[in-house]
Amino acid sequence: MTSERMLALYRRMYLIRRFDELCYELKMQDLVMNGFHPYSGQEAVGVGVCAAIGADDHVVSTHRPSGHSIAKGSTPRSIFAEMLGRRGGVSQGIGGPMQWIDAPNRFFCGSIVGSGITVAAGIALALQREGKGRVCVCFFGDGASNTGSFHEGLTLAALWKLPVVYLCENNQYGEAMPVRQFVPCQPLSKRAVSYGLEGVTVDGMDVEAVLAATEAGVAQCRAGSGPAFIEAVTYRFRGHYGGDPEHTYRTPGEVAEWRKKCPIKRLRGRLLADGVDEAAIDALEAEVEQELQEAQAWALEQPFPTVEQATEHVIVPL
Amino acid sequence: MPTITYAQAINQAYREEMRRDPNVYLIGEDVGVWGNLFGASQGLLDEFGPGQVKDAPIAEAAIAGCAVGSAAMGLRPIVEIMYIDFITIAMDQIINHAARYHQLSGGAVRVPVVFRTQGGVGMRNSSQHSQSLENWFVNVPGLVTVMPSTPYDVKGLLKSAIRDDNPIVFIEHKSLYPTEGAVPEEEYLIPLGVADVKREGTDVTIIATSWMVLHALRAAERLAEEGISCEVVDPRTLWPLDKETICNSVRKTGRCVVVTEAPAEGGFSGELATVVMENCFEALRKPVKRVCGMRTGIPYPAELEKAVVPDDGWIADAVCNVLA
Repeated sequence: MTSERMLALYRRMYLIRRFDELCYELKMQDLVMNGFHPYSGQEAVGVGVCAAIGADDHVVSTHRPSGHSIAKGSTPRSIFAEMLGRRGGVSQGIGGPMQWIDAPNRFFCGSIVGSGITVAAGIALALQREGKGRVCVCFFGDGASNTGSFHEGLTLAALWKLPVVYLCENNQYGEAMPVRQFVPCQPLSKRAVSYGLEGVTVDGMDVEAVLAATEAGVAQCRAGSGPAFIEAVTYRFRGHYGGDPEHTYRTPGEVAEWRKKCPIKRLRGRLLADGVDEAAIDALEAEVEQELQEAQAWALEQPFPTVEQATEHVIVPL
Repeated sequence: MPTITYAQAINQAYREEMRRDPNVYLIGEDVGVWGNLFGASQGLLDEFGPGQVKDAPIAEAAIAGCAVGSAAMGLRPIVEIMYIDFITIAMDQIINHAARYHQLSGGAVRVPVVFRTQGGVGMRNSSQHSQSLENWFVNVPGLVTVMPSTPYDVKGLLKSAIRDDNPIVFIEHKSLYPTEGAVPEEEYLIPLGVADVKREGTDVTIIATSWMVLHALRAAERLAEEGISCEVVDPRTLWPLDKETICNSVRKTGRCVVVTEAPAEGGFSGELATVVMENCFEALRKPVKRVCGMRTGIPYPAELEKAVVPDDGWIADAVCNVLA
């Protein structure tokens, strides 16, 4: 990979991290209300995956969608505004931090664990029928792999060879439940075998590995041999939601160990080793900071929807 | 005008709409090779092929989710849920996804899915294959709920439902499939949200849904012999409800009996009674009377499954009660 491309990935990962941290602060001020699920630690997954697809491709995400959405192309302004419940948000402030649709960006997410796996199959069915080689990426967590929707959706997608890359973002916890206690199968990608799929596990802290695995999965789908199944092993640096009682289910030592594997630090090291000038990286970070501060300030100025606006579009007029 | 069955009317609606628009496709369990349990989709696989008639595994969540995703992309799926009792497996996809996307996308995404299914008693199928669950859907913002009672209505309403851009729960009744009625050869549509007066009368309004419309008409026939004139109103679409037709009838008769196969408590019968009371209380000469299924699981034996839901006798008694 060229340093230029790697730098572009770095910028996006850094932006998503800082976005997450700013949202966390806003959550502590109760400006971001409930349903904020932080993404810090998992940036290599969202960015690596979305770097392997185009603007014409589709993404179905989870209750932890901010990193995926920005990686797919949603603007920080529109996601900040959504987090804050304001007009100008991707769902005009009525969706909030865990369910929105960014239609122009071909991005869907929702807060029911697992069901996106079935919806993604439908999006892929339409793409398959269209025959232009477009694909859908479906993110879901380790917890979702226990749901009926996982089994049903994978069954249908595999039977009909639908062009979906199923991307299991294994961040080690389903809420407070450790994956080793609640998923009776290690590695999790072994589950794919029962649908006749290969099932690949990659290091989710390594953006290059995620990108390479996703590129292979996307190529397989574009060639008509979908779906693909990838498990990216990663870690949620913060709690399940912003401000959860983390100490009840994991130790600071465990978190510290994983923080050492921070995907952003790792990529920064890689860039420096490749001879990229540290000052250039610092400048890029400063530029991101400025962009986010501006986006946040803009979002905070946006109005909340009125009751009339919040209850629009419930139904298409008959 | 030819006389055909309710199941044949569905088949005609399918054919006409699938010929008109190749984006219309059918997905469900045994809809293709088998052609549906009641013959509703017989012959469609031959005419339209597996791209438009998709036999799916027994996986209602996947079927419904697949329909929602593809509808959001511009296709127009008709989902067949073989028995309404099985729709419980697909509720997440219907309630949390189909009904939510239009609003969540600020109006940008439409989800034109028809969830076709059937409920009620009549096949000695016992308590997990015979329920009346329509009430759940009427209460969900974002969904349209339809319950046609005749071959003419099922064809015209199904065609409108397929063309509509909303997620629609389209509930048939297993005892209606063999019933016959006149259906014109020329194309027609019946608008969603419009009730139908199935029989005109002056003494009492009977509002009934689905199979209960047939019982109400039989009761009206019997009562006519005793000189009692019943008007039978079929809402056809449960939401949006045609309050005007219902209330105009009650204003005329001054008396109202509501009939549903589902149990009364927390159900659509209460909604109908409330709509009448809110809109034409002054016209009522007696309180609204409800005639509903017993609050029980549907028992298995043929005589018993029919004994726990209303029939013309129950309805006639209720009419006499409000006339007394």
